[in-house]
Amino acid sequence: MNKMRLLSRRGFIIAAGSTATVLAGRSAFAQGRLKVDPTEFQPIPIAIPNFVAGSPSDGEVGAGVTQVITNNLKRSGLFNPIDQAAYLERITNIDVAPQFQSWKQINAQALVTGRMTRQPDGRLKAEFRLWDVVSGQQLTGQQYFTSPEYWRRISHIISDQIYQRLTGETGYFDSRVVFVDESGPKERRVKKLAIMDQDGANVRYLTRGSDLVLTPRFSPNSQEITYMEFGQGDPKVYLYNIETGQREIVGNFPGMTFAPRFSPDGQRVIMSLQQGGNSNLFVMDLRSRSTTRLTDTPAIDTSPSYSPDGTRICFESDRGGRPQIYVMPAGGGQAQRISFSKDDTNASYSTPVWSPRGDYIAFTRQGGGQFSIGIIKPDGSGERLLTSGFHNEGPTFAPNGRVVMFFRDPGGNGGPSLFSVDISGRNEQRVPTPGYASDPAWSPLLSSTSGQ
Amino acid sequence: MKVKVDKTVVASIVLHVLVIGWGLISFSSRALEVPEESVIPVDISLDQPAKATAGVQTAEKDKQKPKVDKVAPEVTPPEESQGKITTKKELIQTNTTPPPPPKVVEKPVEKKPDPPKPVQESKAKEESKPADKKPEEKIDPIADALNKPEKEKKPPPPKQQEAKPQPPKPKDRPFNPMDIMAKLEDKRDPTRHEMTGATPNATSALGTQNGKDTAIVATWKGAFVAAVRRCFRFPYNGQDADQFEVDIDIQMRPDGTVASSPTIVAVRGPSRSVGTAMAESAKRAVEECQAYAFLPKAQYDTWKYIPMTFGLKDML
Repeated sequence: MNKMRLLSRRGFIIAAGSTATVLAGRSAFAQGRLKVDPTEFQPIPIAIPNFVAGSPSDGEVGAGVTQVITNNLKRSGLFNPIDQAAYLERITNIDVAPQFQSWKQINAQALVTGRMTRQPDGRLKAEFRLWDVVSGQQLTGQQYFTSPEYWRRISHIISDQIYQRLTGETGYFDSRVVFVDESGPKERRVKKLAIMDQDGANVRYLTRGSDLVLTPRFSPNSQEITYMEFGQGDPKVYLYNIETGQREIVGNFPGMTFAPRFSPDGQRVIMSLQQGGNSNLFVMDLRSRSTTRLTDTPAIDTSPSYSPDGTRICFESDRGGRPQIYVMPAGGGQAQRISFSKDDTNASYSTPVWSPRGDYIAFTRQGGGQFSIGIIKPDGSGERLLTSGFHNEGPTFAPNGRVVMFFRDPGGNGGPSLFSVDISGRNEQRVPTPGYASDPAWSPLLSSTSGQ
Repeated sequence: MKVKVDKTVVASIVLHVLVIGWGLISFSSRALEVPEESVIPVDISLDQPAKATAGVQTAEKDKQKPKVDKVAPEVTPPEESQGKITTKKELIQTNTTPPPPPKVVEKPVEKKPDPPKPVQESKAKEESKPADKKPEEKIDPIADALNKPEKEKKPPPPKQQEAKPQPPKPKDRPFNPMDIMAKLEDKRDPTRHEMTGATPNATSALGTQNGKDTAIVATWKGAFVAAVRRCFRFPYNGQDADQFEVDIDIQMRPDGTVASSPTIVAVRGPSRSVGTAMAESAKRAVEECQAYAFLPKAQYDTWKYIPMTFGLKDML
């Protein structure tokens, strides 16, 4: 009797399962179901033994790839790579299924095996498999061919595959960061535009440092950046192609232009134009070169950033007295203030940047003698400060919108350096750079653009 | 001689006496009303622990067997570990016991994305797409080889294991916990002797007439949820975490192991891909933390099938 009741109830649930009807019946079912709500944020324990060398000379690159993947996953804060010293099995052949029991014993939930092989034509073949240790199933498996010098990029692509398969979200490891490299004494800083992989490797300088550069921003879909440079006369906004080195000025305005940023389709650049003591927002179509005024206020409107669907713009304005964040339609119009100081510090909010996912706007908050980096929903709710201190500024989102990079200046005679923090504020990491660094801007996923 | 008494002091004393008096009377009478609690034996026989809570309904005192805790074991003195050598377990070698390797070297992915090149090339796009290609669905010799032995393994009933997964024991030290047990064992005569006999008596605990032992269901539920929660690791850092929920159905064997891979019944949340990954993670947790040997066998009917919901809303 009891059995029958259970069976019929189960049948009903299954019939309703995986459809929207479950949503309606949710409360009814919830009573009979045991509820598991973890109270602790626990990273996924994963084992990444060294990639097997396809030939005796491939051992070094195998270890290198493993190191890059391990580092990526660990820095994300979502994975807990298990120390190789704890491994009970040595992977020597990735075409043979691993002994899952020996990986279960060290509490791994996932296992990555791989092999690097130099091909007769000189190219490098990278193969990997991601295993579910508990069920013994292969979750994904891929192979790639590349020139040997791109082994790091292959490692990032494999890291993204693992990240995506286990978290359900797109990765962000196969991406780069453009930033302002700072060197020299504080009063005579040389600022050069530089680019590197998101993990700090492969640093390359784009300008020589003769002119001051600020606020570089990546195009969302090409290997182009836009930035502001102090050359002869007024500072101007430039476009720069990373691959070709080609540089051009954006528009020819009578006054200073600054704080440029691309539209999501990469066809327009939105920026501030100084007019007297005020500044207003303008957008310029890169094909027709036509410009459109978006704001016309006796205030400083700056730092505009498009929503990923291109319908709205968030920006900073002091029209209310202190700098605050506003949201308005992309074509201009009524702006709505979304940032409000919730304590008595009378804080100001600046440098808003819209997440590529659209769910948050990151900002710099200044109040109570501290600079904080935080996120807020576009409707002004859900504000969360991710880090606070003497000076934190200039947030930029990872391509998947889960991590924010910014720069921090400890004060004194030192200089700024780059940090990343996930949008829960849980996992803050320093990003290695050769010298002082500021103004980071994260690229989209390289594989989503037409460049290398 | 007239002593002047402050009226407020008198009032205070009177009030105190009244309150304390009332408390003494009411609390002492309350204490008498403690309901009789059902008695659950602590030293459960190892063979049939669950039946110990069966209660009184079927028990007949007249025909009760002599109370026996366990079958009489052969009397053997505890071994002295001195001079004993424990052998170290060897590392598992993959190649020594490989499942059959694939006949033809069929690559896991046929796709050969172009290498990243410095020049702008649209081919680089291909590299981002492998996720869409569902490599799992392709015939993979290894995956096949894996599935087969697993199916063959199923028929033999799983051995009853301990309730909680043990932390990995260090393999490289000749350490034998039994040595410690042997050394710690109290070799003096115990003050309370176990009753031994031919067959253990499962109904040793007769309980009380108004026993409420079925209420223990709540206890196993809590223990089960706690055990599964320990293995459930799905790190999600969005502020919409509270909107994700997955329903998983579990079929259990009487020995507390999971009978078959848990079924994903429903996935709710703002992102389908995140929800699916979360559901897989929940399945992994249920299987990783088995066997749940603490589940009371006598109530197998109540946990033969366990519907569960996993959420993220309390994650800190």
